[in-house]
Amino acid sequence: MVHRSLIRGFPHLVLWALGRRARLRVRGTSMEPWLSDGSFVLVDPRAYRRRAPRAGDVVLARHPYERDLRLVKRVASEPKDSRVALVGDRAEASHDSRDFGTVPLADVMGQVVLKLSS
Amino acid sequence: MFDRILEQLDRISPAPEAQAHCDGPCGVYDPASARIAAEAVLSMTKKILALTPPAPGDQAAGIAFLNTLARYIAIKEEQAELAKHDLLVLWTDYFKPDHLKDAPNLHEMFWKAAKLCSECKQSVNEQKASDLLKAIQEIHGMFWKSKKREVPWYTAA
Repeated sequence: MVHRSLIRGFPHLVLWALGRRARLRVRGTSMEPWLSDGSFVLVDPRAYRRRAPRAGDVVLARHPYERDLRLVKRVASEPKDSRVALVGDRAEASHDSRDFGTVPLADVMGQVVLKLSS
Repeated sequence: MFDRILEQLDRISPAPEAQAHCDGPCGVYDPASARIAAEAVLSMTKKILALTPPAPGDQAAGIAFLNTLARYIAIKEEQAELAKHDLLVLWTDYFKPDHLKDAPNLHEMFWKAAKLCSECKQSVNEQKASDLLKAIQEIHGMFWKSKKREVPWYTAA
């Protein structure tokens, strides 16, 4: 069954085919119920070239201390002083800005623009 | 069908992973470390209370007694501080505001347990030491419930 958001997300699929979107697989449960462990998503690495992340955006960001780790989290509030707070949707199962503080905007690597699978 | 295509595609060219995790960076938490320290406090308290001072005038026995007593007190002091530290780590690092929904008395429990650690240092009180262990048992229950796991309570002693 094609997910309904795929119809809205069709432009992203085209851009994926053109290499402008990256496919990623989510691990963990902190973004439930929207994203589950194993969900595929498309990320726009250029989303924040012209604008800052907005509250509610789901972003891909580098972990502030474990630099090899890439996190998928939701932007909790409008960025301030070039830093942004990221929080998991399922707060009790999430390691996020409540533990490691805000993240530099430079560590935000892109926006999750489409869920490909549940 | 689309999901199956994605899985096939992932087999051919695996997608990089992004973490929506808490296990990796969180570290390992377990109330067991506080429990072991509290057990040591209870044990030392009992040992101190069971000591019999030597007859006055026996200098060698007096010194041996003081040495033993000082060691028991030092261990009690140190282990009570360790128990308090381990409790504070659970309280401030592991537990999050969201846990209050399922455990509304969380702050009260930790506050009470931390205070009992101090009281075990200030006095030689077997009741307080037993209360501390009981408080940690309650925290053990709350902790594993929050992880949706059943871990039986046991003691080393």
